[in-house]
Amino acid sequence: MNEFRVLKLLDRVQWIFKRLGADYAVMRRILQVKLTMDGRRTPTLFSGAQNSKLNIEGSSFKVQWLYLLLGLMLLVFVAPRDHHILMMSLLFSIVMFLITTTLISDFSTVMLDLRDKNILFSKPVDRRTLNMAKSIHILIYLLTLTLTFTGPSLLFSLFRHGPMFFFLYGAEIILMDGFILVFTALVYLLILRFFDGEKLKDIINYVQIILSVVVTVGAQLVSRLFNISELGLEFTPAWWHYLLPPVWFGAPFELLMGGTRSQSLTILAALSVVVPLVLFTAYIRLMPLFERSLQKLAEQGAAGRDSGRLPRLLSELVCRNRVEAMFFRFTWSMMKHEREFKLRVYPTVGFALIFPYIFIFNQVWSGDLASIRGSKSFLFIYYCALLMMTAVQMVRYSASYKGAWIYRAIPLQGTAMVHRGMLKAMVMKLLLPLLALEAAVFVLLLGSWIIADMAVVVLALMLYSVICFLTFPKALPFSEKYEASQRKEFTGSAFVQLFILAGLAGVHYVFTLIPAGIYIYLVILAAANVWVWRRAFLPDPSQSGGLPTLRAGG
Amino acid sequence: MGVPEEPVISIEGLWMNYIDRMVLRGINLEVYRGQIIGYIGPNGAGKSTTVKIMLGLVEGYNGTIRIFGRDIADGDTAYKRRIGYVPEVAELYDSLTAREYLTFIGELYGMQQADADAKAQKLMGLLSLDKAYDMRIASYSKGMKQKVLLIASMLHDPDILFLDEPLSGLDANSVMVVKEIFATLAARGKTIFYSSHIMDVVEKISSRIILLDGGDIVADGTFSQLREKSREGSLEAIFNQLTGFDQYSDIASEFVAVIGGGTAHE
Repeated sequence: MNEFRVLKLLDRVQWIFKRLGADYAVMRRILQVKLTMDGRRTPTLFSGAQNSKLNIEGSSFKVQWLYLLLGLMLLVFVAPRDHHILMMSLLFSIVMFLITTTLISDFSTVMLDLRDKNILFSKPVDRRTLNMAKSIHILIYLLTLTLTFTGPSLLFSLFRHGPMFFFLYGAEIILMDGFILVFTALVYLLILRFFDGEKLKDIINYVQIILSVVVTVGAQLVSRLFNISELGLEFTPAWWHYLLPPVWFGAPFELLMGGTRSQSLTILAALSVVVPLVLFTAYIRLMPLFERSLQKLAEQGAAGRDSGRLPRLLSELVCRNRVEAMFFRFTWSMMKHEREFKLRVYPTVGFALIFPYIFIFNQVWSGDLASIRGSKSFLFIYYCALLMMTAVQMVRYSASYKGAWIYRAIPLQGTAMVHRGMLKAMVMKLLLPLLALEAAVFVLLLGSWIIADMAVVVLALMLYSVICFLTFPKALPFSEKYEASQRKEFTGSAFVQLFILAGLAGVHYVFTLIPAGIYIYLVILAAANVWVWRRAFLPDPSQSGGLPTLRAGG
Repeated sequence: MGVPEEPVISIEGLWMNYIDRMVLRGINLEVYRGQIIGYIGPNGAGKSTTVKIMLGLVEGYNGTIRIFGRDIADGDTAYKRRIGYVPEVAELYDSLTAREYLTFIGELYGMQQADADAKAQKLMGLLSLDKAYDMRIASYSKGMKQKVLLIASMLHDPDILFLDEPLSGLDANSVMVVKEIFATLAARGKTIFYSSHIMDVVEKISSRIILLDGGDIVADGTFSQLREKSREGSLEAIFNQLTGFDQYSDIASEFVAVIGGGTAHE
């Protein structure tokens, strides 16, 4: 088992954990085991051919070049020598957005994990230590991520503004990460306290959606409010600035570096320190309660009887093939009940829901509504496709991935129909309802002349769903264990998909320039859909039945 | 006779209900040193729940549970140091090797890493798993995993063992070894709390049998006491009789009838 550098760093500050009432030795040991496990891959049923790769210790701390690259953007905000509050608030709104969304979608399952409890809590480990280990585990990842992302700008600030700025920036980053983690945990605790059983499980997903919407809107607000005040080169505090955490974190820079003194700035700066600390103390107090409440998630509620009439009806409607229809229903009901899938995908529902409006809203803010009505701003609805990107990527994972032996045990002729049924179920259950909702609002806002465009969007995104499926490594639904280390391998595919999505929106735009072009495009898309949905799921001739050459992810 | 011996486990008026149903309805139980308790009952009778409550894994019960004379609700988890536990489902961190997992568990129980490692290696060797010691548990067969769980539960020399279906997946030879281990441990004054559905095994190794049905204890005594009371020959028959189950052959024939007929293919 590796000795991790992070743990040695923690050793230096172990008195903090002891003061907080944790058993440091035990906590350290749990962390060590967790970090070791994170670096390993669990062989899945279909990865037999990959066994040789198993021994590679995929370190979770490999530099995530992508974040590093994105982090270069932040230099723009650090470079100016004045307007610190403006620049740093914008910077923190971006960083907070990134970190919070990652936390909600990727680490909710870790926060709400129950398996640990059965293994660890039957040993003499107290709740506080267990929870502390869990939180630190998440915090290590958050900090690694944040430091990769802010690394370039952090370093740059040292040369540009000197050590004072550098240390202030570093300290604020740590405070911010702690704030995000603790805030999210407290929100979850609140829900765990007030709800029970099945309702609790649904509520958690709604809260994820709400959180992601709030974070997105919040980040937008920061940029909005300053764009206007920027012209006057003056920061005029308003009451609602106190509600925006990025502004808190931006304030100390203005106060200490910019030398601007004002009461409101001091209050804002104080908030950036006080609020995280207060929440942190509350969280430490409530940790045992959190662990205890988690148990509720394990309770088997009286499961509502689900007649399954809707999926049966839909599967008969959209699937010709029997196997396809079967896996349509299977995917449908798994998506409905699989906790891990829901925890990871529902935050994206939030983004997909709010993103199109954000951009419309931006235009309304700067222009008048009339100009919107004639514009092509409805193209932002293409952002809904983010949902399919995440869903297609996530549908391969399951907590009960071992159940995948069933694919081998049943007489299955190839996997093409399994995949098509799976994809159709996702389109019907996730994409279409969302699109319908968005399209309805857009038509209300912009007028009925965009109805044809909306139809184009529906067809284009159905096409896009197949593209997503084709560009990710293929895997059977719910057959793999989720592993953070594997996620990175999808980043490349995700970028390709984003470009394709932008391309689709671009083509749509071009066709709107041609008179009646949209109807031509509609026909073309319809034909393309028919062709692709057939073509992409042809049984592979090299596979003479069975699934032996099937590879699972990466 | 000397001073009456103090029970290792004492349960008084234990009630437990989940949202929609009662699982335990006022269980009273005292367990002493050196006993091997066969804790049996139909599926859903509340066996695993009782054990999980004693380990602090399940909360929200009513009643008092004392282990080693201390109320387990007092918030001190130190009592778990003297308990070993084999869960019903083989839940373990299977991306670790047995060496990593067992030393980790040993350390959680307060052992030194080197001690835990040396001891675990020896025990693995004795159960003929020496070659697998440095392999990932994920690659193990069900029986091998079960052996790892058994070792993990006994590594720290506990005074009480809670075993939930401990022999599942083991081959006949290993079963003999493990049964003998239990008997020897009990003779040394350890307490073994054992739940299983395999009546033959329970009948042979238990010094006391407790039958749970519908959240109540319906029988408690040695095998011969139970046999006298119910005038049945085997524990299986006693089990059937006490849980009021006598239509097994009717159900079986009906089951087979359903498999064979009807609309199996839509």
